[in-house]
Amino acid sequence: MFKNYLKIAWRNIFHHKAYAAINIVGLALGIAACLLILQYVNYELGFDRQHARKENIYRVIQDRYDNGKLSTQWAAGAYAVGSAFKEAFPEIDDYVRLNQAGSQVLRRGNDLIKLENPYFASSSFFKIFSFPLVKGDPATALKEPFTVALSETLAKKLFGSVDVLGKELKVTGDRIYKVTAVYKDMPSQSHMHFEALFSFASFVQLIGPDNNPDNAWNWDGCLTYLLLKPGTDPKKLEKKFMAVVTQKNGESLKQYNADVKYYLQPLTDIHLYSNRMLEAGANGDGKTTYLLMGIAFFVVLIAWINYINLATARAISRAKEVGIRKAVGSQRSQLIGQFLFESALLNAMAVALAFVIILAVVPLFNRLTGQSISIGQLGGGMFWLNFLLLYIAGSFISGIYPALVLSSFKPIVVLKGKLVHTTQGSYLRKGLVVLQFAASLFLLIGTLAVSKQIRYMKKQELGMNIDQTLVIKKPIVVTDSTFLNQLTSFKNSLEGQSGIQKASSSTSVPGEPVGWNAGGIRLLSQPENVAKQYRVIGVDYDYVDMFDLKVKAGRNFSRDFGEKKGVIFNESAANQIGFTKPEDAIGKDIFFWGDTLRIVGVVHNFHQQSLRDAFEPLILRLFPDVRGYISLKVHAADVKGSITKVEKEWNRFFPGNTFEYFFLDEHFNSQYKSDQQFGLVFGIFTTMAIFVACMGLFGLASFTTLQKTKEIGIRKVLGASVNSILKALYQEFAWLILVAFVIATPIAWFAINKWLEGYAFRMRPDTITFVLPLLVILLVALITVSYQTIKAALANPVHSLRTE
Amino acid sequence: MITLEHISKWVTTAGLRTFLLKDINLTIKEGEFVSIMGPSGSGKSTLLNVIGMLDDADEGKYDFMGNQVHSMKEKQRSQLYKQYIGFVFQAYHLIDELTVYENIETPLLYQDTKSTERKAMVGDMLDRFQMVGKKDLFPTQLSGGQQQLVGIARALISSPKLILADEPTGNLNSRQGEEIMELFKKLNEEDGVTIIQVTHSEKNAAYGNRIIHLLDGRIEHPR
Ligand SMILES: Nc1ncnc2c1ncn2[C@@H]1O[C@H](COP(=O)(O)OP(=O)(O)O)[C@@H](O)[C@H]1O
Ligand SMILES: [Mg+2]
Repeated sequence: MFKNYLKIAWRNIFHHKAYAAINIVGLALGIAACLLILQYVNYELGFDRQHARKENIYRVIQDRYDNGKLSTQWAAGAYAVGSAFKEAFPEIDDYVRLNQAGSQVLRRGNDLIKLENPYFASSSFFKIFSFPLVKGDPATALKEPFTVALSETLAKKLFGSVDVLGKELKVTGDRIYKVTAVYKDMPSQSHMHFEALFSFASFVQLIGPDNNPDNAWNWDGCLTYLLLKPGTDPKKLEKKFMAVVTQKNGESLKQYNADVKYYLQPLTDIHLYSNRMLEAGANGDGKTTYLLMGIAFFVVLIAWINYINLATARAISRAKEVGIRKAVGSQRSQLIGQFLFESALLNAMAVALAFVIILAVVPLFNRLTGQSISIGQLGGGMFWLNFLLLYIAGSFISGIYPALVLSSFKPIVVLKGKLVHTTQGSYLRKGLVVLQFAASLFLLIGTLAVSKQIRYMKKQELGMNIDQTLVIKKPIVVTDSTFLNQLTSFKNSLEGQSGIQKASSSTSVPGEPVGWNAGGIRLLSQPENVAKQYRVIGVDYDYVDMFDLKVKAGRNFSRDFGEKKGVIFNESAANQIGFTKPEDAIGKDIFFWGDTLRIVGVVHNFHQQSLRDAFEPLILRLFPDVRGYISLKVHAADVKGSITKVEKEWNRFFPGNTFEYFFLDEHFNSQYKSDQQFGLVFGIFTTMAIFVACMGLFGLASFTTLQKTKEIGIRKVLGASVNSILKALYQEFAWLILVAFVIATPIAWFAINKWLEGYAFRMRPDTITFVLPLLVILLVALITVSYQTIKAALANPVHSLRTE
Repeated sequence: MITLEHISKWVTTAGLRTFLLKDINLTIKEGEFVSIMGPSGSGKSTLLNVIGMLDDADEGKYDFMGNQVHSMKEKQRSQLYKQYIGFVFQAYHLIDELTVYENIETPLLYQDTKSTERKAMVGDMLDRFQMVGKKDLFPTQLSGGQQQLVGIARALISSPKLILADEPTGNLNSRQGEEIMELFKKLNEEDGVTIIQVTHSEKNAAYGNRIIHLLDGRIEHPR
């Protein structure tokens, strides 16, 4: 029986090559696109799953409120929560604290190795998280002060081996740490990527006995992870936190009219859903991931619809076979089986082709999108599961409806040679075509919206000038106490060089989050309880001038006034502290952690970060000899020459420090990299979707034309022009596209606005964003349909009439 | 073998009933060779399809070898006809994508005949119709007469008790037609197969042992 099915299916494919090709290639493209996206989605969804107790690990996250208004959302909150909560709640098995150790330089002989982002971690780190140790004991590794755990790679880099337990490392400031563990490099699917972990006990010693982290309720920057006892309901536990916070810290909060809330965030949610202050690293984006999943579904859906449409449109040519088979004794169920078998066969060919396509395009896909899907990874279980699921679902979804339609034909009707009029079928077909167009339109509108938003963000006035700006990272090896003088001398020596117009140093530069967040700031005249949080950049005299910030009221810092204790506010900050008119802020004194500082000026808001982020209340605090980045405005004419000169000076002033620099405009625009990649991915799959949809349209148009050939022949004999015949045919498809447009527009509108919510500064989607895709689809459909219809319309009428 | 009592079939258009068959009473015994004649549109094919269970009557009783066909479900009916009835069509109705061999084999697939048995049966049939050399050809590569022979071979493969033939020679020249008629006659006389054929030709009708005349959906009884 199956041999018979196979034969007939194979011969059908063979005798109708164009039809089969449209189906197989369409399905293959759809499946390939879907699998590629799913591969990426699976990767994103699979973060932090390696931990044995992942279900019971939660991070404590913290929201701070000033005067009842949400001010900051922290990944790394107050230091005290870990020990306080553990003590109060028996549901908590254990906790671990982590905090940034700042960039450090490790010294080995004369070699210097820079650690970008090491952390301090308390001793339970390796007990709570399943990061396997290559050397050392997880129970004791980070217990003692001045011990350090190294990643395998770092250990090999430093010592050439992993047998390094007990070896000593000299860290910035000549502090000696003893290596107590070597751990396997943290996998890429982890929200934590630490090269080295210093023991938290060292941090406790470094800050001295006056600063006990166990009592630090208003001092943020500590990541706290809890290991809950199995079966604990995190929601219930979360609700009980407030009582402890009020008991321990209620008074101080009341004094500042502040509030703080703590929540439990599941470990496995961090990568996709967390974007808070002081994350352990850059996280992914759940919204994008699910959007991509939606696109994957759309693309494969379009391919399935092609199959359904073409198979039912071709039903007439299969009707006779159905009639005969029924007349010689076939049951309906046997016919359904036969047609499902055919769709399974076509789908099998399609998945095989899809696999070849994937192998061919993976490198290109990775390069374009910045993903790192490897061929080896394709062998993963998840890939094959998706592969199999798509195959089975595809065979069934695309095959079942045509099978039901075809098997329903009554033998006497079809054997009498009457045309099978399936109005029902043609309505369904129209409906499905509308669905395809709606999906295509949605994707196209989305692509336009994404690219429009990116263009909008890049074109926007930043409120500052970052062109021709070279930024040098601060030296971190301090050889002697004259460092501060050296930095100033270095800057001065550069200012004298030809090719360098301006120089300035600061703790932050545009294009990244401001690392310094200061709470408790208020006007000296205000009571303590109205104090609020501000971002602070430490700057020298030249900062405002360097970046061309526009002073709105007051003045820039000036050496002439000999001031050391000035601040400049941006408008948001002036607003937050209570001035509606910026002029009023000038000359007022503020309380800043015990210091009194005078507001000398207010600058217009400028985009410290990408336009994803809103303007934040920002204070530029003057430190004439601030240590941090050094920004240089260089002449466009000889950038290379300037860099060489600067490097020479650098090596003279800071021997042993690597010269690291970047161009500020590139640095700033790199914030849009992920947006651009998302736009590109969106665009690629949209193009694929439309291509597949058009293939289906082409096939459908061929069949429709075949049916209409006779009709066209008759009309032509009666004197109708080719044009009017074409017009009638276009009208039908144009209508379907218009209906699709009406369906797609509101959905796309909604989706775009939902997506734009992630951006503080957003373009307004205009008519073009919606109408252009409509025109594109109309045009593409017109061209697709034309090819077939013109051929038919130009055919000799006598010939087509004779085919009756 | 077949008893039709008060069989009627109609279509309703704009509230008006048009009878395709009206009050047909007919008994056909096993071993008969019946010819149905009548002008075009008189309902011959309709009657044949009702007998072959491809079509329903709207009224009346139909007894086929002791089975009450009028009260059976479609599935039971197809079970019945695939066992006992072979169809021969004017337009041959072979499956274009299958070879001669495969076309003849098709009914057996639906009767769960074993593969080795199938091979033997199809082989016998090809021998009998002298078409062994043509077994791998597709229908479009055959002449009309040859196609009809394949059609008949297919009808005979499951050794039916009844053959229903709707103008089997309608598309053939007279020499080919005669061959088919001789074949039917032989089947009827030597193998005892009951045959009901529709024909326009008096000459073909004469091969049978009984003629039924149909006019406007009724049986005309000889005056
Ligand atoms: N399903 C149907 N609906 C309407 N009219 C039908 C249908 N089937 C057959 N007819 C009509 O019934 C009449 C008898 O048809 P048919 O049995 O094919 O005649 P014959 O085979 O004698 O030429 C014809 O006029 C035909 O047009
Ligand atoms: Mg007829």
